[in-house]
Amino acid sequence: MQLRDHIESPCGLRYVFEQLELQAGYTRRWMLDMPMMRTGEEIARSYEVLRQFVRFVEEVDTPYINTLQFRLQGLKDIRTTIKNLGQQAVLDDIELFEVKHLAILAVDVAERMKAHGLDKAIAVPDLNEVITILDPDGLKMATFYVYDSYCQELRDLRAQMRQNPSRQEELLAECAEIEEGVRRDLSKQLVPFAKALEEAQIAMAKIDMNLAKALQIKQLGLCFPTISKDDISRYEAMFHPQVKDALAQRKRAFQPVSLTFGQKPTLITGANMGGKTVVLKTLTLCQYLFQYGFGIPAQSADIAVKDEVFFCIGDEQSIEKGLSSFAAEMKNIDAVIKASRENRKIVALIDEPARTTNPTEGTALVSALVKVLRGDNVSLVMTTHYDIEPTDARCLRVKGFENGTMNYELVEVQDGEVPHEALNIAESLGIDKEWIETAREILNIPNSVYLNPSNSRGLKPNLSNSIDLDPKGSNSTPLKKEEGGSR
Amino acid sequence: MTFIDDILNYDSLSIVGLQKNTGKTVSLNYVLDRLPVERKRIAVTSIGIDGETTDQVTRTQKPEIYLRQGMYFGTSEMHYRQKRIVSELIDVSDENTSLGRVVTAKALTGGKILLSGPSSASGLKRWMKDMHRVGIELVIIDGALSRMSLASPAVSQSMILATGAAYSTNMNTLVQQTAFVVDLIKIPLTEEANLNLLMPIEKGVWYIDDEGALHELSHISSLSQDFRFEGMDRCKTLYVAGALVDGFLEKVRKNPKLKTCELVVRDFTKIFVSPQQYRLFLKAGGMIRVLQKSKLIAVTVNPTSPLGVTLDSDTLCERLSEAIQLPVYDLMKKECN
Repeated sequence: MQLRDHIESPCGLRYVFEQLELQAGYTRRWMLDMPMMRTGEEIARSYEVLRQFVRFVEEVDTPYINTLQFRLQGLKDIRTTIKNLGQQAVLDDIELFEVKHLAILAVDVAERMKAHGLDKAIAVPDLNEVITILDPDGLKMATFYVYDSYCQELRDLRAQMRQNPSRQEELLAECAEIEEGVRRDLSKQLVPFAKALEEAQIAMAKIDMNLAKALQIKQLGLCFPTISKDDISRYEAMFHPQVKDALAQRKRAFQPVSLTFGQKPTLITGANMGGKTVVLKTLTLCQYLFQYGFGIPAQSADIAVKDEVFFCIGDEQSIEKGLSSFAAEMKNIDAVIKASRENRKIVALIDEPARTTNPTEGTALVSALVKVLRGDNVSLVMTTHYDIEPTDARCLRVKGFENGTMNYELVEVQDGEVPHEALNIAESLGIDKEWIETAREILNIPNSVYLNPSNSRGLKPNLSNSIDLDPKGSNSTPLKKEEGGSR
Repeated sequence: MTFIDDILNYDSLSIVGLQKNTGKTVSLNYVLDRLPVERKRIAVTSIGIDGETTDQVTRTQKPEIYLRQGMYFGTSEMHYRQKRIVSELIDVSDENTSLGRVVTAKALTGGKILLSGPSSASGLKRWMKDMHRVGIELVIIDGALSRMSLASPAVSQSMILATGAAYSTNMNTLVQQTAFVVDLIKIPLTEEANLNLLMPIEKGVWYIDDEGALHELSHISSLSQDFRFEGMDRCKTLYVAGALVDGFLEKVRKNPKLKTCELVVRDFTKIFVSPQQYRLFLKAGGMIRVLQKSKLIAVTVNPTSPLGVTLDSDTLCERLSEAIQLPVYDLMKKECN
């Protein structure tokens, strides 16, 4: 799987990617073709390089960075030309120009890297010899034609041409033959550099990428993660850049969230609009950013390396595919279960599974899912509104409403009891009074149809500022859409 | 001839023909031949309406441009490979055309070249910007007044218009039609505040109210028959990003709410209205403005049509000049050379 397969994940990976100040279109395409890193060593190496770039952008002044960026804008994708060269074809003027252009750029960038001790982090092959071949007059200009200096006869013919324009056509034909000979000779001399040219092109894409990532770390306040040794991921004060930006536009602040998860399934419960979905989005985003070597939006992060990331969210795409939302969701989760049986290390982040079906079966499905995805190779975080027996899982709850404002902090709870704040929240949204009041009346009637002892542990003293009500009654689906996104 | 000096006051020039065979290439070659290449860095390109197909349709050879030593030119990879001059490549752009990428080179000998440059307005603008960045002082565009072209010649600061018997062999018609196009080219720019607001908008119909707020008339094409103006009591400026056609202009004219409002189009090439409808609009007090305009430097005529009809050159120049209040040149005539 490559970055281009993950970029559209609803976790917001594209948002972070698009915010990179990449200078060359080629870098962008090269990054999208990057496979996801799957070993700790690989990830550690990439962060080591990135660290050096962060130090570099801290060391040098903005004009220096701007000049380097401007140079990198000249990076072109000349793989076809290099391939032709590798196959010993005779390059034409345009191709030779491309080779010379790349070589001049590579030498310039390599010097800059060396001046700042970055030449070991990313080695740009030395292409000075290529320049020598294509710059017989030593002009160091990124231009090209078959220069007069390559051949005295050519020089004479061209001189005649200028003196005697009426003979131009005839002389051009003679020149063409000589020029072709020169190009054949130049191409031959360049063949041994095909590999170095290819490496130089990739090295400069890497420089472009690392420079952009380093600047992004500074701009967004991202952190360098450590690589977890015990398969448990720990995040301190993580945030979602896209949600944070959207909130900032409305002059509101994002409340960072801390969370540790890993070996045991983790269940997150909490009021509607309590930011549960945003937590899952952020976790998914961080996992991808980690495995593609970006800065992590958190104060600190210790992240476990995975083979595959699953983010299951009740999605709108199901409508396009003609599946009901339930069917689409089941199929998505089914893929997670199948992957878990293949013994791959996976992280699964599942948002309110079985939300659209009846609470009785829904609760059973979710409880069963916790049991099925209990394996050592699975790190599961799941949000739910259903009451789940906590024996197999660790339960976290969004703190919820405190003095009229939402506290998005996650706290550990001993049982799976879900908070009952739906009516309070609906009320705070200014939803029709009669509707809310009627719901309250219904809930206050003992033994109402909503009380079904078979899948509830009955009424319990309340956890926070919610009213005493039955969990099934709190499943107010109409508010689902508001959750998270409108934090 | 004096208009050559005029050209040097601008950093870009497009040469546009009202019709094929109106002598556009003659005008371009005339200009290229006389510009002071030794003291001005000049680059020339062509708006690439898919050159090859046009040629196949009209079955005429795409005319070659004669470049002088020291001039820069932008053309497609394919035409560069077919060049018959000595030239030095200075840039290979990411701009794609149906004939390959646009490359830029400097002519090291004089000679003929086929030009086929950027094929979109944004591509052309990028190329022009690149040229100015590498120190080119004057960019010349072999333009086209064709609906097939996405690149408008109005992106250049100045313009030369080529007209002639190929457009109409009836002198009255030719003079009237040319004068109408010249009227459109001369439409003034809208005020600066509108420019900033409207320039980025490339499609749809929009209006600006009396408080300067911008509104889009959603799901409306200016081409559609059942166009209605609703909730636009406070419309001060009406902007049509796409084509302006007769039906739309008529509706604007007949709508009492829009009596005092200014109608804005992107540039004159987006106006596809008949002279009658245009005059009625102006007579009713209508006001039309553009976002981009070029200074019309000269009009050139080719009095001979491809079918062999030749109009009297002196009369044509005189009558046209009177109608448009600008000098008109017949570059085919010997004395001009």
